[in-house]
Amino acid sequence: MNRKLSYTLLLYIAGILAITTVVVVLLQKPYTFHGTVLNPPLPVTDFTLQTGEGETFSLSAARGRFVLLFFGYTSCPDVCPTTLAELRQVSENLGDDARNIQVVMVTADPERDTPEKMKAYVAHFDPNFIGVSGNLADLESLWEELGVFVEKEDTGSAAGYLVSHTSSVYVLDRNGDLILMFPYGTSAADIASDLSELLKQTEQ
Amino acid sequence: MKTRLIMILMLTATLLGACATTREMSIHDAWIRPSTMGNNSAAYFIIENGTGMDDTLLSVDSDIASATEVHLSMVMDGGVMSMQQQESVPVPTSEKVEFKPGGLHVMFVGLTQDLKVGDTITLTLNFENAGTRIVEVPIREP
Repeated sequence: MNRKLSYTLLLYIAGILAITTVVVVLLQKPYTFHGTVLNPPLPVTDFTLQTGEGETFSLSAARGRFVLLFFGYTSCPDVCPTTLAELRQVSENLGDDARNIQVVMVTADPERDTPEKMKAYVAHFDPNFIGVSGNLADLESLWEELGVFVEKEDTGSAAGYLVSHTSSVYVLDRNGDLILMFPYGTSAADIASDLSELLKQTEQ
Repeated sequence: MKTRLIMILMLTATLLGACATTREMSIHDAWIRPSTMGNNSAAYFIIENGTGMDDTLLSVDSDIASATEVHLSMVMDGGVMSMQQQESVPVPTSEKVEFKPGGLHVMFVGLTQDLKVGDTITLTLNFENAGTRIVEVPIREP
């Protein structure tokens, strides 16, 4: 083999190596979450609330799965059904992985939302969703811990009072710690993508 | 001669037709969220004011709920979602006013019937200048 040819070959190999390195580095670029990440995750005190007649839901019972908490009320015609429909879309996008997440809607209006009403309401969207209510003190301590704002507003609507409430979706990890928050309007595709990444990172 | 007359008539008709479509208060892409009797729901649509005159949506009527109101959802500080009932909605000429999730919507309080996907309901929009517009609204998922 003459010298010129071996140089060309060397350059060729060097070029391929360089391209491979760039590709590998690019592929290893850390995933950028669409939601707001809490690092370190914030521990959330275990809670037990009511869903349906005589049934309860405890955060600790969902350990091992990711819990998506959302706060709203059943008389809400716009934002709450929009979010629930989107979370149903997230579940569909996740496919089999959806068994590792649990969507829980917590009422922001315990005065009107009974546990039965919450259960029936979320079931319209997805039979696997859990809807919970409970006594005001239990709910308030959860709202407070997560920084959820809830306020009754009298607007003259025939619906009686309306409730202003934080509309974010809170993601609790497999230990029940708050790890991610999605503001209202985050697309189902972005939420599903973040959850897939979390599931992948914490595969058991 | 006869052919020419027909052609002129056709042309006039086409021009009139074009005028009619541009000089309208058009309401399109309407849909309403499925729900069940006793609960609430919301409807959305796009209003395009082609009348050449500023107008105002004064109210919306339906016979599917005990009350039909216009509300606006707004995101406040810290991601708090708040809803406000609207007395009226300005619809300026040559503009599009979009009713959409998380924004303007028609709120149905206390549905007197189930809203099943695939069915349609009738809405009446009352404008200050354009008068009444009746819209057939399909019930569907977002």
